[in-house]
Amino acid sequence: MIKIEELSKRYHDNIVLENVSLDINEGDVIGIIGPSGTGKSTLLRCIDQLEVPESGFISLGDKKIDLSKKNKKDIYEIRQNTGMVFQRFNLFEKKTVLENVMEGLIVVKNLPKEEARKIALEELKKVGMTAWANHYPKHMSGGQQQRVAIARALAMKPKLLLLDEPTSALDPELVGEVLDVIKEIAGKGFTMLLVSHEMSFVRNVSNRVIFLDKGHIVEDGTPAEVFDHPKNQRTKDFFAKMNLMNQPDYII
Amino acid sequence: MSNIFDFKLVFTQIPNLLLYLPITLELAIISMILGITLGLLLAIVKIREVPVLKQIATFFISLIRGTPILVQLYIAYFGIPMFFKWLNYQYGTDFKVADVSGFIYAVVALGINQSAYNAEFIRAALLSVGTGQIEAASSLGMTYFQALRRIILPEAITVALPSLGNSLISVIKGTSLAFTCAVVEMTAQGKIIGGRSYRYFEVYISLAIIYWVITIIIEQILKLIEKRLAIPDQVANYVPEDEVRA
Repeated sequence: MIKIEELSKRYHDNIVLENVSLDINEGDVIGIIGPSGTGKSTLLRCIDQLEVPESGFISLGDKKIDLSKKNKKDIYEIRQNTGMVFQRFNLFEKKTVLENVMEGLIVVKNLPKEEARKIALEELKKVGMTAWANHYPKHMSGGQQQRVAIARALAMKPKLLLLDEPTSALDPELVGEVLDVIKEIAGKGFTMLLVSHEMSFVRNVSNRVIFLDKGHIVEDGTPAEVFDHPKNQRTKDFFAKMNLMNQPDYII
Repeated sequence: MSNIFDFKLVFTQIPNLLLYLPITLELAIISMILGITLGLLLAIVKIREVPVLKQIATFFISLIRGTPILVQLYIAYFGIPMFFKWLNYQYGTDFKVADVSGFIYAVVALGINQSAYNAEFIRAALLSVGTGQIEAASSLGMTYFQALRRIILPEAITVALPSLGNSLISVIKGTSLAFTCAVVEMTAQGKIIGGRSYRYFEVYISLAIIYWVITIIIEQILKLIEKRLAIPDQVANYVPEDEVRA
């Protein structure tokens, strides 16, 4: 089980996260939703130590790590146990698809090249990108790049996979292929935190949904509970606005 | 005076000058290596904003860029021995200053001069690599120096290459000042040859031709490297080995 406790992050006077605590069970797929600028991405980035929070703890197994201390050893331990998928893919431009996936295995896990290659090809197969192994990121569409980025994160066998709006930078017709891949890995028992604006997808794929507003968790429950019977007024308003947008322009 | 300008001599004395080409190239290449290494260190210090070291780096770059290379060569040639003599006097050490050849002083001065210029464009090249890729490397668990070596440098080098080429060309021409440190390289040899026959003008023309040809060769080599470093426009799809056999 992974435990996040009392995570707070602010930029100057702007409080982004305030005492956020979260227990994550193994195999949980947690969808994080909420209005823009409520700290959804910041939450993931603080967990992965790309941002240093003012306070907060994370427990990986038995070990409790203070996220606000810049202890290098702890930082590397957290990062090696978590995988991150970014909104803008962030593939290594000068490396082929295969090298992208092998990189962490060779440099961080010190695996021999042959073994890394084998693992990388396996992961690429899972996301259906084997044929593209020799290509460079600039040769591929956004959807393909994101699938490779997912393979790169999964190859490291993280205890926790963090997906930061993985489909927000994609053309509408490419969203599907990425969501399919995420759905597949969610089915395989990976523990995931998924920040997304694809509401129906979040509802579909996650077993628990969190609604963040102004740095607080205001709603936490199964998808059915949160989407169909929100308790908090802010959540209700949010869904009402969403539904308004989904209504047809006119009715005869 | 039979002829004002001996056209033939311009070309016939080129082989004599080329005898000293190895020294010119040695000077250039060693100071270039020193310049790039030191420049990279300065650039990293400035990017990482290492306290104290950053201020020293900024001061150092400003000082080196703000003084002529000729003056720096003189300072190296006269200043470094004086410093060691003072050390010997003060602490009773026994550095053999007189045994150090002028070549070392020239390389140190040229290398340090290059490093100040290199530092700035190496810094720009390192910064040109998107933060996204660095974040991705960090999230995999890489340290900054692993990311630097595996991700940032390979990409930054393509950005830095044209400026590095410029730098190499300018250091090759800078070596022509090494005579101030009593190093006889090509230009120095030219002055010696000229002194024998008073045909200075012809010698300088010969030298100009040689330096220009060297520069043209370097430009061509750089073009080749640039091509090799570029990401290919298209590559073949990957076919798994078991499918190849089938």
